[in-house]
Amino acid sequence: MSEPIIEVTGLTVRYPLRRRPALQNLSFTVAQHETLLILGSSGCGKSTLALTLNGLIPHDIEAEISGSIKVAGVNAATASVETLTRQIGVVFQDAEAQFCTLNVADEVAFGLENLGIPRSEMDERIHRALAQVGLAGMEQRALRRLSGGEKQRLALAALLAMKPKIIILDEPTANLDPAATTAFFRLIAPLRQEQTILIIEHKLDACIHLVDRALVLTPEGTLLAEGAPREIFRQEEARLQEYGIWIPQVTEWALALRRAGHDIQPLPLTVQEAAETVRRLDIPVPLRSQPPRRPAFAATVPAVKIDGLNFTYPKADRPALHDVHLTVPKSSLFALLGPNGSGKSTLGAHLIGIHQPAPGKVFIFGQDASAAAGMTLARLTEMVGYVFQNPEHQFVADTVYDELAYSLEVRKEPEERVRKRVQELLADFQLELLARANPFTLSQGQKRRLSVATMLTVGQKLLVLDEPTFGQDRRTTERMIARWRRLQNQGVTILFITHDMRLVLEVADAVAVLAAGQVIFQGTPGQLYEQEDLLQQANLVPPPLFRLAKIAGRSALTAIASRA
Amino acid sequence: MGLFSYYEEDSFLHRLNPSIKLLAVFLAVLILTFAQDPYTPGLFLSLTLLTLWWVGRIPAKVILRSTWPLVLLTIPFFIFNTLYFDLGKVMQPHIWFSIGPWTVARESAMAGLALSLRILAFIGCSLFFVTTTAPSDFALSLIQQAHIPYRFGYAILVAYRFIPLWTEELATIQAAHKVRGVGERSGLRGKLQQFRRYAIPLLASAIRKSERVAIAMDSKAFGATTQRTYYRELHVRRTDYAFLAATLLTLAIIFYFFARVGLTGSAG
Repeated sequence: MSEPIIEVTGLTVRYPLRRRPALQNLSFTVAQHETLLILGSSGCGKSTLALTLNGLIPHDIEAEISGSIKVAGVNAATASVETLTRQIGVVFQDAEAQFCTLNVADEVAFGLENLGIPRSEMDERIHRALAQVGLAGMEQRALRRLSGGEKQRLALAALLAMKPKIIILDEPTANLDPAATTAFFRLIAPLRQEQTILIIEHKLDACIHLVDRALVLTPEGTLLAEGAPREIFRQEEARLQEYGIWIPQVTEWALALRRAGHDIQPLPLTVQEAAETVRRLDIPVPLRSQPPRRPAFAATVPAVKIDGLNFTYPKADRPALHDVHLTVPKSSLFALLGPNGSGKSTLGAHLIGIHQPAPGKVFIFGQDASAAAGMTLARLTEMVGYVFQNPEHQFVADTVYDELAYSLEVRKEPEERVRKRVQELLADFQLELLARANPFTLSQGQKRRLSVATMLTVGQKLLVLDEPTFGQDRRTTERMIARWRRLQNQGVTILFITHDMRLVLEVADAVAVLAAGQVIFQGTPGQLYEQEDLLQQANLVPPPLFRLAKIAGRSALTAIASRA
Repeated sequence: MGLFSYYEEDSFLHRLNPSIKLLAVFLAVLILTFAQDPYTPGLFLSLTLLTLWWVGRIPAKVILRSTWPLVLLTIPFFIFNTLYFDLGKVMQPHIWFSIGPWTVARESAMAGLALSLRILAFIGCSLFFVTTTAPSDFALSLIQQAHIPYRFGYAILVAYRFIPLWTEELATIQAAHKVRGVGERSGLRGKLQQFRRYAIPLLASAIRKSERVAIAMDSKAFGATTQRTYYRELHVRRTDYAFLAATLLTLAIIFYFFARVGLTGSAG
């Protein structure tokens, strides 16, 4: 191996006013042209590491640093931000919040201008960088006209134009739909010849094939393990689970088989490797760890029935929803899928009175949801709870307790009942100790739990959730699924909008797919994943285990396709 | 396209240097404050809007839709000024009628009209600038011609970029609160409470987003080098000076003309 391009020794980073350091005594090296995966539960200091490497910590962001960092031969502590940003570029998670100009060419030019690249060189660099990410010809496009996937590709192009030696990807696909995620990582593959790449990711299925080596951080910001991902997933299985760190789905499957006594060597990471294992060992491909729950969807009134719903935003040139028909059975876990901007949230908004349906179009438990048909917002919110993607948007009170009591107090419930119900919810959602805390000061996971709890206070029987697993680690997702199952047993119907194909395969009883404002599919996840052109049309990618089953043979497929 | 915002076109007005255009508009507004009659601002307003439509190729529909709500806004100014005009200053007022304590004369109506048209002329000038100036060109020109520090220039640009995002975010928060069963509040206390409820999540996300943008910008070496270059360079051309001169000349002619025909001055 050649001289390492990054050499970190005994690095400790502590933010002001924090008791615990964000990173503790971290030592590792990265070889030139290596692709390194950095794993860790949320809040373990992965992003801090990225910003320490490119010098923003401590040059721009105040923090106490000890230990040494050498990047491309220079000492990061003494080098200027200019020197470091010439070496390292970062693609961030939030596409909206990493641009500072208004059109594509200006955005790519921004970094070049900062480096003082002569104007005569810029055009050529800009065109080449845009071509590399498949955005050639879009130079004059306004940023607000780009899709989420295009924005992240542009963010990458803006770095490539600066020709950094090292590229850090800090959860770049968190907001993207499955097809856009795959497309993004497809761009990374050819870069590995020329660049050193650090990938910070939660969801590994789309990027694990690119990775040479992995680094795992503990929640305390220390180094847990370092080495080939295959070895780490095998040796640290228990601890990865404990920290809530996702591992590739086929690896999870293979580890389960190992526990069941199969000798699986080497451990597969990708669908192709897993297919190889299946061929070699002739083992079954269980698509679910447990037999599918088959709720008896009695022929009762469905939770939601939509009958020819149309909706066009003011001044829009095409309808957001066009002749939508949809039936969500009572007590089902129902997934609503589709590319960004396909109308999923607009559809959800019609269930809770944010948008008003015409009479005779939307029925909630058999009742017309239209105000014109006599539905009041008060009655609707008693039947339907709606959890927004960002929990903060829904907070209306100053303490967790008041937040939960709010809807009951608005309804003038007797004080005794309010207290009892709030206590129940605090216990159910593990928020008892936080009853007096301000909702804004909670952790991401706690905020989300609280926002779900506030939507169940008055006994709502339909829960609509917008991207419930966004930014959640494995442990919180597992707990969330367990809670959904409990709610389902209590007769609650859960309709969730998601891009998370693993979640769909794991929990959904039924799915519907929206594309360009139309329902193009309704059925079981198994049936959906069979229809390749439909998946393509909706920017969906079946989860790895399903792809594996497909490669391995049809017998396993029928197992889930039949659960209708 | 929103009202009173940039209208994409490629016209002579759009190609003018933003800093010079701003200077011309500023000087026009300054000079118009000295006009005491309704005719001067009235004529200048008409010329401004005509130029905007004819030379700037801004559709009449866009101009009218952007201005008429503001015309309504000036009506109270007109009424107030007409009613409270001090007729004692006028030698021989042409009294039209009296209601209660108020006497309405030709002179007071003219003074009210003069004020309203002056306000409208300022609005017309702003519309002229806003509809024909691309925000990114404006920021660049402020940096390159007006020599404001480039950090400020980019701050303006980022702020502009975020406006539609805030609008969206506010709509989401309103929807989210509606779902919680929070109705629109009435009364001053209710409104204040509602404002606080919207402001906190909005502020929280504003701070988070601006931090992220700052980090992303700094990660691309913003402000790290001494010699910054520019991909697009804006220049001041002869046509820009010509435009500035033409604006001032037009104003001079209008002032001179009405002075000659004796229509200036509040007494009429």
